[in-house]
Amino acid sequence: MMSFDLRAQKLVICLGPGGVGKTTISAALAVRAAVSGCAVDVMTVDPAPRLLDALGLEADSSDPVEVHLDGIRRSRRGGASNRARLRALRLDPKRTFDSIIARYASSDAARDTILENRIYRNLSGALAGVGDYMAMEKLLELAANPATDLIVLDTPPATEAIDFLDAPRRLLELLNSRAVSLLGAPAGLFRSQLRMVDIAARTVLAAFDRVTGLNLLSDVQSFVRSFDGMYEGFSNRAARAQDKLRANDTAIVIVTTAESSRIAQAREFVGALEDAGLRVSAMVVNRVLAELPDAAELTSARIAPALKKKLKRNLADYAALKAREEVSLDALRDSIPAGAVLMVAPDLGREPRTIADLAEIARSIRAG
Amino acid sequence: MTLPRVLFVTGKGGTGKSTVAAALAVALSHRRPTTLADLDRRLSAATALGATPRDSTAVKVSDTLDVIALTPRAELEAFIERIVPIRAISRRMLRSRTFGYVTAALPGLEAFLLLERLRIMAGDAALEDRYLVIDAPASGSAVELLTVSSGVRNIAPGGTLNRLAGSIDSFLGDATRFGAVITTTPEDLAVREALETAATIRDRLGIATVAAIMNCVPDLIFDTSELAAISPLDGHARLAIRRNAAHEQACLVGPRFAGAGLSTINFPMLFTPAIGPREIEQLGRVLEAELLDR
Repeated sequence: MMSFDLRAQKLVICLGPGGVGKTTISAALAVRAAVSGCAVDVMTVDPAPRLLDALGLEADSSDPVEVHLDGIRRSRRGGASNRARLRALRLDPKRTFDSIIARYASSDAARDTILENRIYRNLSGALAGVGDYMAMEKLLELAANPATDLIVLDTPPATEAIDFLDAPRRLLELLNSRAVSLLGAPAGLFRSQLRMVDIAARTVLAAFDRVTGLNLLSDVQSFVRSFDGMYEGFSNRAARAQDKLRANDTAIVIVTTAESSRIAQAREFVGALEDAGLRVSAMVVNRVLAELPDAAELTSARIAPALKKKLKRNLADYAALKAREEVSLDALRDSIPAGAVLMVAPDLGREPRTIADLAEIARSIRAG
Repeated sequence: MTLPRVLFVTGKGGTGKSTVAAALAVALSHRRPTTLADLDRRLSAATALGATPRDSTAVKVSDTLDVIALTPRAELEAFIERIVPIRAISRRMLRSRTFGYVTAALPGLEAFLLLERLRIMAGDAALEDRYLVIDAPASGSAVELLTVSSGVRNIAPGGTLNRLAGSIDSFLGDATRFGAVITTTPEDLAVREALETAATIRDRLGIATVAAIMNCVPDLIFDTSELAAISPLDGHARLAIRRNAAHEQACLVGPRFAGAGLSTINFPMLFTPAIGPREIEQLGRVLEAELLDR
């Protein structure tokens, strides 16, 4: 049984390093909440192909798709609820961005200026976390639906925990940066308003443009300027996203595996979130080895001695892996943040491919 | 086998990139002087070798192996210090928020400077007859990194930057100078991503792929009749099946890579309580036999 109640949450955000099974855990938590009677949306960013199949998602499902829970055992608590449902969607950041530009742009011309901007088109992925910001936008849209009890958000793999949660602030800062617009102003004009560092930054950009013959600066400015009329819309929504992250019924869940390097990364995540004033509700260690069988069973077993020897070797081998895992888990137990619970999700011994697999993981997630 | 001067190790998160990069560097260092460039801020590969490099200064691991940490941020700082020669101002700027605007204004610049640094290091390595092993980011980010120079060429159709991007592109596309090593595990998801990455790197970016390295392949110890004989021993049978299944899955993967024109080297699953320099040496020997001696 889990020691943090999914049913008390409105939003669960799963964060973690790449390759730890964030999407699997997000989907399993969503299935778990749905079988206990909640109306759940799970939003994923880049699900594994198999998981895409399991959730019944096409490669591009920007709108929620109903996931069939046929054959999945309903929990007793939620059995009677007729609210229970599970919907999944896969976010396409580029498409969401385009639709938001269309919604807020003051004119068609402003919209086209942004979409055709050289910087946005060539290197938009690198621009101030646009994709991450888009996930936040979609989240607010889903959260506005009163028929939904819980949203589970699977985030893109990140090297820094804060990257994703901080995206709205960073995008706004860029759009609102007086420095960027002043930087490109004719020399002397705004000089008095510029601080020393602004002048230095301007020097760098100007030198870069001169060396490269690139004129990037004007593109950046036109990009920023074309957001002029939209700034308020963006800013309001970013503020609402920030509030949502800090709400009492929002739970941040950090997903990791038991490898020492991943655990170290997960601990850094916790630290970074705490620095940003965000509280971690749970840490889920995925793919933890199941309990090992008893060595004593082998002594009494009626099998050939050579085979018995092999079984002992196999047990010893996995015991060594288990010991490696325990060292990491102990380190994590010692550093678990106050108020957060540690949970483990056992390794199925196979990759999850169906809703039934996800339900099995959901059932077996337990306190660690 | 003739290997490129620079070996760029990438793969899906959790497939043991850093372990493979460290083992590859150790194996190569038995033949020629070798540098391991760790692009991971957490320095996992360097740590596996017991080294903690700082400030882009190389640290010696053995007579023929040293480790250096490279970060895009440090490359950008060095670039800015070159352009703004008054140290007090450049330092202050690097700490300021304005600096954030500069990096936001020039997306991809950090990555571009990092590639340029690798190109220069490769030139030095050729002169000194050394190898350079790069512990690169996970495959998605690695592909982004390798694409940056062509992105820069698109936005800068002429000028110095275009020429610089052009020379980076021809460096990346020269199989004697640069090649990618792709890591995977026997799991289907990791294999799929490795195959996709290999196809993107080779076909779309025109960069040579050296080999796929499959990490965590357990040796086979039970045959079918033995598995049948132990089936009443519930837990033990499950554990035996688990080991066999992982092995068999690994056997199926080799041909898939071969079909994609990539040879596969299997790293044994190390059933040890920790992965340290001794285990890295052991994996390095696998590479010497399977890659360097071929």
